[in-house]
Amino acid sequence: MNNEDQDIESALRRLRPRSPGPAVVSAIGRALDAPVAAASPAARGVILRWSAVLSAAAAGLLGFLFFTRAPVTAAPEYQLVRAEQPPAAVDVFAPVRLADGSFARPVRVRWSNETQWEDRRTNTRLINYSPSEQFGLIPMETY
Amino acid sequence: MNDAHSEQDWRAWFAEHGARLRLIARQWTRSDADADDVLQEAFVRFWKHQRHLPGNPNALVVTSIRRAALDLHRRTDRRALREQVVSVDAAAVADFEPEADPRLQALASSLPALSAEQREVVVLKIWGELTFEQIGAQLEISPNTAASRWRYAMEALRRLVTARTYE
Repeated sequence: MNNEDQDIESALRRLRPRSPGPAVVSAIGRALDAPVAAASPAARGVILRWSAVLSAAAAGLLGFLFFTRAPVTAAPEYQLVRAEQPPAAVDVFAPVRLADGSFARPVRVRWSNETQWEDRRTNTRLINYSPSEQFGLIPMETY
Repeated sequence: MNDAHSEQDWRAWFAEHGARLRLIARQWTRSDADADDVLQEAFVRFWKHQRHLPGNPNALVVTSIRRAALDLHRRTDRRALREQVVSVDAAAVADFEPEADPRLQALASSLPALSAEQREVVVLKIWGELTFEQIGAQLEISPNTAASRWRYAMEALRRLVTARTYE
């Protein structure tokens, strides 16, 4: 290295790089300062204590709600308030020939029964809907 | 460099070294904003996980900066290619504080005119405070190649400063 190189090198060392802005320092502070505080044993103890207190409170609240619900002392007292049977639907199909050579007309009948029961004490209603279907053959006379 | 192994406050350490570390980060990034991001990520990683490691803390923090810069390059490779040309020109004198001495001002404005390879060797030697051997390890080149780039850089700077001082 000659003297001229040393001059340049010493001049370079005199240059002052610009400092990072305050935003960088703040961001580093957020990353370095906050986790240290949260990880300290004292802080961890506080978090654990609060967690235990909150868990116990939640368990107590659940227990309170469970045991203080209005008890169901008697069996439900449902009364029939409505019974309905809409008109049946009848489907008549084309005649068919039976094994013994006679003829018959297939008929399908569909209907439904609906009943409603109500317990006025608890204001609950039970709806019983039962669809039904029956299939039959009407014998036909042939001449 | 103050001993980063000790339990001193990071703010004091950063106040002393932040400026030169940011200049190092700037060599491997394409904008000031990227340099700030890289410096922030690298310093946090160094201070949390690496400063207690054995060895030269200065080399460790420079390694951390280089890794953060490479990570950023991988993430933003396509976008950054378009911005690279612009950022090199814009970076000219803004990396340094203004100087009253016209020769120093000419030197500051000449640095960006070096090739990227020569400039990073200069920055790592002067502001990274690394030896040619450490520079070679950082850049994955031989110490002789690092020294060679340094010599070419000195020659180029001498020529550029002379030309700019008497312009």
